[in-house]
Amino acid sequence: MNDFAALGAKIKAADGPGEAIKAFLRQAVEKKVADAVLVPVKVPAGNSYAWILVTDMSILDDASPVAPVMPVQGAKALKSLTRKGHGELTVMAVMRPCEIRATFELLKLNQVNLEKVVLVSYDCPGAIPFRDYVKDPGFGEKNFQAVMAAGGPAEKNVKPACVICDEFSRVDSDIHFGWFGESGSSVLVIPSSDRGVEVLGSMGMECSDDIAGWKKTISGLKEKKTGKRTATLTETAKTIQGLDGLLGTFSECIGCHNCMAVCPICYCRQCYFDSEVAKKTPDFILETAKKRGGLAFPSDRVMFHTGRMTHMSLSCVSCGMCTDACPVDIHVAEVFSYMADITQPAFEYTAGRNDGVPLPLRKYEEKEVPQVHEIVKEAEGEEAAHE
Amino acid sequence: MQEKMENQELDQFKPKIVGFLCNWCTYAAADLAGSSKMEIDPALTVIRVMCSSRVDHNLVLTTFFSGADGVLIAGCHPGDCHYGAGNYYARRRYALLKKVMESLGLESERLKLSWISAAEGNRYAEVVNSFSEKIRQLGPNPINKMSGL
Repeated sequence: MNDFAALGAKIKAADGPGEAIKAFLRQAVEKKVADAVLVPVKVPAGNSYAWILVTDMSILDDASPVAPVMPVQGAKALKSLTRKGHGELTVMAVMRPCEIRATFELLKLNQVNLEKVVLVSYDCPGAIPFRDYVKDPGFGEKNFQAVMAAGGPAEKNVKPACVICDEFSRVDSDIHFGWFGESGSSVLVIPSSDRGVEVLGSMGMECSDDIAGWKKTISGLKEKKTGKRTATLTETAKTIQGLDGLLGTFSECIGCHNCMAVCPICYCRQCYFDSEVAKKTPDFILETAKKRGGLAFPSDRVMFHTGRMTHMSLSCVSCGMCTDACPVDIHVAEVFSYMADITQPAFEYTAGRNDGVPLPLRKYEEKEVPQVHEIVKEAEGEEAAHE
Repeated sequence: MQEKMENQELDQFKPKIVGFLCNWCTYAAADLAGSSKMEIDPALTVIRVMCSSRVDHNLVLTTFFSGADGVLIAGCHPGDCHYGAGNYYARRRYALLKKVMESLGLESERLKLSWISAAEGNRYAEVVNSFSEKIRQLGPNPINKMSGL
């Protein structure tokens, strides 16, 4: 989290942060700061939400900037919009902190273009598990209302990834809506980047309210959540040790690759596991079955998940889309978050920041960072002996 | 009795190791070692790659899950990459895979990285022989016994 501004603009929010964000978006379009907005809008059937690039502001009436569910990761929506570059229009995108963090990972892969995008984030209480919601949208809405009313990051009734999320507040977005710990009738609009300052300036919003109180609330909540995350992931670690542990964890896996399809970070254009290279000849399969005494199908499920761990744990933002999409309720997000918490610090990298630091595998140091050095020093040691 | 069987099994254990060798250095070193009639452990099967950084994690995992008992990745010494910096990238990829394997309690010592230049035929023989010996001591890859995988 950058420490961009110490001041924000306190605005009235009698109908909650969602309505306040909508009013802000309307104002932004009126003042010609943005030409279109990207927000979740309730689908006509009323049982889900979809990302809509809104140009006709009357559609905003049905929009829910703080939506109860995450059917599609926001970074993916933004990727569909800007994969081929930016257009003439400025788009204001309202997304959860994890969606914005995923967006920055995609930015580092040149898979989104943020030239004409204003990113708006908000204090996120979490999202309701998608399948719970579609089963009974009415109950889901009611659950989410309770979550919102609690005025902090939720500890139950939300996705498992949200329960252990400690990045629920301000990220490197342009503008942030802070409302945790604020009295119910106001929210803080906080600029978080140069562009954010510029936008708020053009909208005539004066940032003169101290945000120190809000910051203190957030860091208190964050500390609690980090503790929860560490405790949960320590338990997760125990369940995935060794081939037996992995097999136990992924034994229900039906090989649908949903976790990969919904992952905002899985960046390969063609997945190795879906490619021709990964397909095996019958002779090879029979040989393997003979050697092992049997062979399960679909085969390579553990390899698939291990492969994904090596490929995207460095960029994992723990958004929990994978668990949400898993039809057999494997706790994929915890497994990947566990791995992320190991691999990211090893490369002295934190996923989801807009700090100009390239992805760890796209750079190198001649003298490696300590944890990497520790691993490669055997080869390096030989090197020293060799010289 | 069972122990005896296991010992017997170990005695007969012929490890299969796959080596991903860089075309510009280690592969040439292997060639040199061969033409110099050095003794090289036959456990190693060589796959020539154009650069050690070509070795994606999925290639290594595929190799292990296909039953290989060990994987060796070998390339040019740091600073000597034919393409400039490929081996530095390879080093990071290797470190990541090693870290993931360690964190999952998989036997990460079955994976090895080494730098061997085209002139180092003797070093190639040394590395291959000592790694093969290590794998022999580790025993067969447990994946080969798991029908559920």
